[in-house]
Amino acid sequence: MKTMTRIIASVCLGFLAAGLCAAQTVKIGAVQALSGVPAIVDFGESYLQGNQLALKEYNAASPKRKIELVVYNDEANPQKAVSLVRRLVSSDRVSVVVGTASSGNVAAFAPMLQQAKIPLMAGPAISTDLTAKFIEQTPSFVFRCSMVEKYQVDAMLDWGVKNFKRIGLIHGTSGYGMFALGEIQKGMKARGAELIAIEGVAPSVTDQTPQVLNMKSAGAELVLIFNDSPELIYRAMTKTGYKPTIAGNWALSSKMILSIVGKEAIEGTVMGQALDLADPKAQEFDVKMRKEFGEKYRWPVVAALGYDGMRLVLQAVDAAGADPVAIQKALETATGFKAISGTPAVPFSASDHECLDPENVFLGVWRDGQVVKLR
Amino acid sequence: MQMTDLAQVILGGVALGSIYTLMGKGLLVTYLTTRALNFGQGDFLMIGSFMAMALMLAGVPVYLMVPIVLIAMAGLGYALERVAIRPLERLPAGAASALAWILTTMGFGMLLQNTAQLVWGKSRYYSPQLFAGEKGEVMSLWGVRFYMEELLVAAIALSVVAVLYWMLFRTRWGKHVAVVSFDKGTAQLLGINVRRVVVSSYLMMAGLAGISGILAGPLTSVNSHMGIMFLLKGFAAVCIGGFSNPLGVLIAGLGFGIVEALSGFLDSSYGDVYPFLIAFVILIVRPTGLFGESHTQVR
Repeated sequence: MKTMTRIIASVCLGFLAAGLCAAQTVKIGAVQALSGVPAIVDFGESYLQGNQLALKEYNAASPKRKIELVVYNDEANPQKAVSLVRRLVSSDRVSVVVGTASSGNVAAFAPMLQQAKIPLMAGPAISTDLTAKFIEQTPSFVFRCSMVEKYQVDAMLDWGVKNFKRIGLIHGTSGYGMFALGEIQKGMKARGAELIAIEGVAPSVTDQTPQVLNMKSAGAELVLIFNDSPELIYRAMTKTGYKPTIAGNWALSSKMILSIVGKEAIEGTVMGQALDLADPKAQEFDVKMRKEFGEKYRWPVVAALGYDGMRLVLQAVDAAGADPVAIQKALETATGFKAISGTPAVPFSASDHECLDPENVFLGVWRDGQVVKLR
Repeated sequence: MQMTDLAQVILGGVALGSIYTLMGKGLLVTYLTTRALNFGQGDFLMIGSFMAMALMLAGVPVYLMVPIVLIAMAGLGYALERVAIRPLERLPAGAASALAWILTTMGFGMLLQNTAQLVWGKSRYYSPQLFAGEKGEVMSLWGVRFYMEELLVAAIALSVVAVLYWMLFRTRWGKHVAVVSFDKGTAQLLGINVRRVVVSSYLMMAGLAGISGILAGPLTSVNSHMGIMFLLKGFAAVCIGGFSNPLGVLIAGLGFGIVEALSGFLDSSYGDVYPFLIAFVILIVRPTGLFGESHTQVR
């Protein structure tokens, strides 16, 4: 009887070992801004929520690979981001990295991942040249699934120049705001137009009345807002009795902004978008996210890009296993992808590591408490 | 530039400047009794803002919210004195121990900041208005548009400053503070309960930060990092006004707010630089501040 028990135990152990080998564990590192400047945290948390839902669904579908997600908070701090990515590479030995919200942080750690030959799925950072800087290197390990600043600026200026004669800009004086200023000035010049007023907003400024009064004096009909605290402009506009059309970057589509400024004040505000909530797929995703994260879910477009970015990574890991070089190849050759966001079925190629193309970015507008496609 | 625009900008500057003044007064009052500034005072303001916002959102009327916040802040002020200031008295005399309060008060502030993040998260919030029925209630006077809130915030902050001024110069407590500030040993010989005066100054500091927090919330946005800029600007007000002159702090605080608003109007890209630049120049020319005493400070 004892011998029989031993035989059964040995067989069971054998099966267990074989099972473990078959479900090879692949580590994915996620670096995200989960504390620090509130506006950046809003991006980081929303993108990570999308990542987490994608992973949950992947695990629920009895996958080939066992995935371990290692999440670190870079606090929107470039030094911290670099040290965390170094830890992911050398200590955690991840096969792929996802993140982060701050473009400066991505620019700081992307060369390290390129050198280590570990794929990066950047997002929700939006600085235009993040993947372009590496595309000449074959192969490039830097991919992105997020909005691209130039795409949303182009969409906005095409619409703005066609519909408004007097356009002003209120930009942040931090790195992002200054970058946006350059892109917008270039874009306006290319369209044969010029900004009639340019106002800066330092990160510490809490009252934007002076900037709004200057816009009002200049007679701006459309005010573009590209700064870290876009919600503050509404209070100043109500105070000064000035009601121009407001357009800005995709941060204006966060429900956090809606909850702060209210439905009436934000009505008609235009922003860059890559998710059409009129699409049944997007609606289904929206319901799933609400169920999963409740009130903590507040930003459909950022979460959708986080969801699509992670699904692309998981699809590649599923096909290629834990080998980072094979994952890079699988990402670059991915086809038939069914995205929730505007991401096309063939998102990447050897010469394009952006999941979105210019034609996938459109303008959204707040209508009755919802962001809908601007017609 | 229209005069109405200018008046509108200056009014906003006065509202924020009056809060900087309150912060400066808080720093001043603990400096007088312990030669220590609470570098976590910005986080006291932040806690005051969050508490006021949470209570108002829970439906607590303003007249009840204010005493609740002030009692809670007094508790925090007492805790700060008890755990971050009093134990330093036991350290041996020397440069390191003389400056240890920088670390302990900052550490206390960081504790408050992290607690706020645990309770309210990391996002920013807008606090409900204190006085206006609706968020967007705007008044107009001779073409100058302003939120009623701004006017009332400035009026309340300036009234609090007047009361503090009266307390420092016209009451027994104020006289005790002056003697403790001059020399603690002498104060003890005169029969003054030095410990009580020190503790009361920390309660006063916490109360001023609490009032600043209640008033600042509806004017700005509430988040766990909001305190640092108010602390820096309050500190600038004390430096410019002089560590010995409460009236100087009032003038410097209001001046800082107005210069900040005007420079944002004239050159918005570098608007926040000019007030600090002016403060820097003033301190080079007059290191004791515009209204500070150049000889040994008594008050």
